[in-house]
Amino acid sequence: MFFLRICWMAASSLRANLMRSVLACLGVIFGVAAVVSAMAILEGSTRDAVKRFETLGADQIIVMNGSDGGRGSRNAVSLSLTHSDADALGELESVKNTAPESLITAQIKHFEKNLSIQLLATNQNYATINGYKAVRGRTLTKQDVVSGRKVCVLGHKVARQLFGETPTVGSRVRIGGIGFTVIGVMEKKGFLGMRDVDDQVVIPLTTGLTRLFGNKYVQFITVQAEESSELESIMQEVKRHMRVEHSIRAGEVDNFRVMTKEQITQQIGGFVQIMAIVLYSIAGISLVVGGIGITNIMLVSVTERTREIGVRMAVGAKRSDILLQFLLEAGVVSVLGGGLGILLGRGFTKILENVTQLLETYTTPRSIILALGMAFFTGVAAGLYPAFRASRLDPVEALRHE
Amino acid sequence: MIELRQLRKLYKMGDSIVHALDGADLDIGAGEFVSLTGASGSGKSTMMHLIGCLDRPTSGTYKLDGLAVNRMSDRQLAMVRNHHIGFVFQTFNLINRTSAVDNVAVPLIYSRKTSTRAAAMAALDKVGLTPRASHKPSELSGGERQRVAIARAIVNEPKLILADEPTGNLDTRTGEQIMAIFHQLHAAGTTIILVTHEMDVAAQAKRIIRMRDGKIVADEMLDEHKRTALQAEARDARYPVGSPT
Ligand SMILES: Nc1ncnc2c1ncn2[C@@H]1O[C@H](COP(=O)(O)OP(=O)(O)OP(=O)(O)O)[C@@H](O)[C@H]1O
Ligand SMILES: [Mg+2]
Repeated sequence: MFFLRICWMAASSLRANLMRSVLACLGVIFGVAAVVSAMAILEGSTRDAVKRFETLGADQIIVMNGSDGGRGSRNAVSLSLTHSDADALGELESVKNTAPESLITAQIKHFEKNLSIQLLATNQNYATINGYKAVRGRTLTKQDVVSGRKVCVLGHKVARQLFGETPTVGSRVRIGGIGFTVIGVMEKKGFLGMRDVDDQVVIPLTTGLTRLFGNKYVQFITVQAEESSELESIMQEVKRHMRVEHSIRAGEVDNFRVMTKEQITQQIGGFVQIMAIVLYSIAGISLVVGGIGITNIMLVSVTERTREIGVRMAVGAKRSDILLQFLLEAGVVSVLGGGLGILLGRGFTKILENVTQLLETYTTPRSIILALGMAFFTGVAAGLYPAFRASRLDPVEALRHE
Repeated sequence: MIELRQLRKLYKMGDSIVHALDGADLDIGAGEFVSLTGASGSGKSTMMHLIGCLDRPTSGTYKLDGLAVNRMSDRQLAMVRNHHIGFVFQTFNLINRTSAVDNVAVPLIYSRKTSTRAAAMAALDKVGLTPRASHKPSELSGGERQRVAIARAIVNEPKLILADEPTGNLDTRTGEQIMAIFHQLHAAGTTIILVTHEMDVAAQAKRIIRMRDGKIVADEMLDEHKRTALQAEARDARYPVGSPT
């Protein structure tokens, strides 16, 4: 009850000097806005990453270029994977299928229509491994790949944008200046791993490597295990086999990396954590700056209200009552600033969302409570010194103050 | 009720020492109405602050109702002020941003009372300000402000009221209204100590104490005879002999 009354008193003294109160908490407003935006963006990107990788099968192992030689070695990624590695891995007992994959951005043309797309060169297993089906025509066959045919399968969106509702299979398109025949259109899928495959066009690996990519290496190989429960041991087997394929002697480091979906997700988690540290540091600094603003204004307020403090002491306020009153005043101004900050941060992330169209953001109840808590804590910490000063005033001196 | 023995208050001003109170001995019984007069700087306010437990003496003892106040902690002194003492100041000292009734309720908040409004309204009623309860100090006249201040001083029903020049900022007629309230409080049994340098105000008390240079130089009970003499003296001071009437 006493506590509530003191809160009320604090609120009424803040109301009496509204403009100054707003100025005092400006720093906190921006600080909290920063915290709320940071958390909303982080939440959004984490959910996004998790959502994307959920589309990858649990039975997949990814083999990539580059070395896994510990943290110290940051040598440039040297290309080493070839389609014959994929074939060799496919021979293993425990491996069901393999798909070598190489990806570039390219232009696709159909008469006057021109689109920028992701061009994926791969083999016939790509569709089966990912459970990705054609809605019209067919997907790649072994024959397409072996003979390096100039055929392509269009992602859902690509087909719609190029052809609208008209039949597409059999049409001719030009990709990177080379003519291709459309043999199929894929289903609407959205994200598969890191990319939106509806924006993607698939061509045979051989055709891509010889005519468009200008090198014989592939970017990664997706390996589908027979048993997803034995992924770890199969991964080791894949590693051993790759070392043999690449004639790496004992003691030498791998020139490739092998990862499961889980490990990639973990890596993203690590990245998100680093982002979080950076964002929270920025937010923390702005809160500290906000706190200094509050300290400043509270000191002015204590000086201005010296006589009032004297009167309160004369009518029976204990030093602890005065301390509490000014602490709460700082806390209340800070929490109000926090409230405004949350609205501001929410507005900012919404604008960001609409302008960039890239990421979704989420302001969770948890982040709101956390932000308000931080604001209150900042305010109380910032009010500590001014409140202490107020509580140590000598009543007689304070009453004499002009 | 009040027992002061060799009470001293010194202030160091650089090299020199100011004896604001220089060894005062004084007893005031419960229910007395005492006025304290003396020239400016004679130590009246210092005496009030000590009696009111707002300040500590440099030396000497002070017993309030038998309790050795000079040995109490800040916290205990705050509680004594809250429960037993009411202050009335020359400059009213109200909190300007809140209403009259909220000002009156301030002491109740610090005594952790759960319902403050009814008691604050009752105190306002005693000074005849019920209709002004929701006005802010800036919307009140000087006399009304002082009545709010008195209501604040009596809201916790203290035994002792200390008023330091309560009529100093008011015209004579308004001052008389304020004095009428003090008379009522006195009649109800409250002990009142009133600092003033207006002799006709001082003469309204039952006992008058004069100070000079931090010392009590006179302490006398006022009977009807002395009172009339003092009031005549006060009139003469205001309208000196030879001035046009
Ligand atoms: N904080 C202080 N520091 C130094 N000297 C002080 C202080 N407070 C009071 N004094 C001195 O103590 C003496 C008594 O002061 P006090 O305020 O008690 O006088 P007073 O009788 O109330 O005068 P007035 O009628 O002008 O209010 C004065 O000489 C004053 O200058
Ligand atoms: Mg004085």
